[in-house]
Amino acid sequence: MLSWILPAACLCAWFLVCHSGMVPGYLLPSPVEVGNACYLYIFGIPGDAPYSGRFWDDAAASLVRVGLGFAVAVVAGLPLGIASGRLPVVQRFLGLSINALRAVPGISWMPLAVVWFGIGLKTTVFLVGLAAFFPIFLNAAAGVQQVDPLLLQAGAMMGCGRFRSLFTILLPSAMPHLLTGLRLGLGISWAYLVLGELSGVPNGLGALIMDARMTGRIEIILVGIILIAIMGRLSDTVLKSFMKFCFKSARRML
Amino acid sequence: MELGGKPLLEAVDICRSYQLNGSVHQVLEGIRFTVRQGELTCVTGRSGCGKTTLLKILAGLTSPSSGRVLLEGSPVSGPGPDRCVVFQEYALFPWLTVEENIAFGLKIRRVEKASAKEAVERYLALMGLSRFKDYLPREISGGMKQRVALARVLILNPKILLMDEPFGALDAQTREDMQSLLLELWEELHHTILFVTHDANEALLLADRILIMGINPGRIVKEIRVDLPRPRAKEEREFLLMGQKLRAALRS
Repeated sequence: MLSWILPAACLCAWFLVCHSGMVPGYLLPSPVEVGNACYLYIFGIPGDAPYSGRFWDDAAASLVRVGLGFAVAVVAGLPLGIASGRLPVVQRFLGLSINALRAVPGISWMPLAVVWFGIGLKTTVFLVGLAAFFPIFLNAAAGVQQVDPLLLQAGAMMGCGRFRSLFTILLPSAMPHLLTGLRLGLGISWAYLVLGELSGVPNGLGALIMDARMTGRIEIILVGIILIAIMGRLSDTVLKSFMKFCFKSARRML
Repeated sequence: MELGGKPLLEAVDICRSYQLNGSVHQVLEGIRFTVRQGELTCVTGRSGCGKTTLLKILAGLTSPSSGRVLLEGSPVSGPGPDRCVVFQEYALFPWLTVEENIAFGLKIRRVEKASAKEAVERYLALMGLSRFKDYLPREISGGMKQRVALARVLILNPKILLMDEPFGALDAQTREDMQSLLLELWEELHHTILFVTHDANEALLLADRILIMGINPGRIVKEIRVDLPRPRAKEEREFLLMGQKLRAALRS
């Protein structure tokens, strides 16, 4: 309940500002206008109007890009992070390079990505994967590093070997960190999705925003922003529920 | 009481040192003793005398700089379920319930499900934890946590139980309860126990034999046999006399 107060207040303020005429409609369209545009964008018949009914197509395209990029980041970031958190050799081998790369703003990869991968899916997946990699990697490394050594000793004395203790002790114990990394990674995936789609792909929520800027449809830009916010929030909930569904440790330690 | 059991665990000239700022610091020196089958031995000494280090060496969690640990005559290398440890800090797995924590070692051993469940239920009942089997460690008291920690190793039927100040973090009343519980279990299950404590009264209350450690370097300075019948009452004259003797030995 409490969490809805702020959005509701913002909506009210938005109404008031538009209603009072302090800001002209071509800079900030009214909530009603944006709501209508949103309805048309989602439920309109494709072809009726420029943006009518395009949502499903855009959302599907964006979801695929976010999903693939995030998956790449997870597949690379989790094992490398875990290895680097537990094995000093890996830590020394990777530490410098990863911290140097991390300092590079993701946006500066875009021109290179476009040259390498062209415009479209591959570039977006590359940018999303690269950006989401770092929080996943760093949190996984910190998580397994901070596991109480006593728990591993307890496991060892009960006959749990090193390899088994990875799954029975290390990962469950690091679960809060792992999940934080995944959530941060997924959040940043949405940010870099838009960046990737700004490169000129024909569909996707980022492309919608870019497209609407060209055609001067401010309300469509706002629709894009709001929908990305909603989808980002929903994907976070789905991720959390998925982890809780799959892992005892996620259910019980959060 | 005659300690006629055969030798189970032997510490043979255990030394342990580490380097600190270039100088060698001797933690343990020439530790040599034997624990016999079925015996309850207490190791006591002031803090910093290396009791915990010694226990970790016996458990195989730390290796000695020199010397050997023998279990039934064969050298020990690394930790294993034949020498289980009960830690002062419990070291329960916070994402597992009481029941799952107790079942952990059996699961690692791939004990068949039905018989594992049966064993877990038996130990839950033995420890008075049946009602709390679905609780998480963070939801139960310190005394209960230590009972879970005890149950999860007893269920593995270790040859020797190594206990590292297991009741040190508990309040006085709970500690007394746990001490009597431990004695009851010991009389029932005939385990061999090596119990580390800094509390002279606790050592007197429990032990057949007390090994007193001196400090800098940690070494065994004296061995006291406690022949008092159990259960022992702290108010009895002989108990008080032995307590004086023990405390005098600890001070010197």
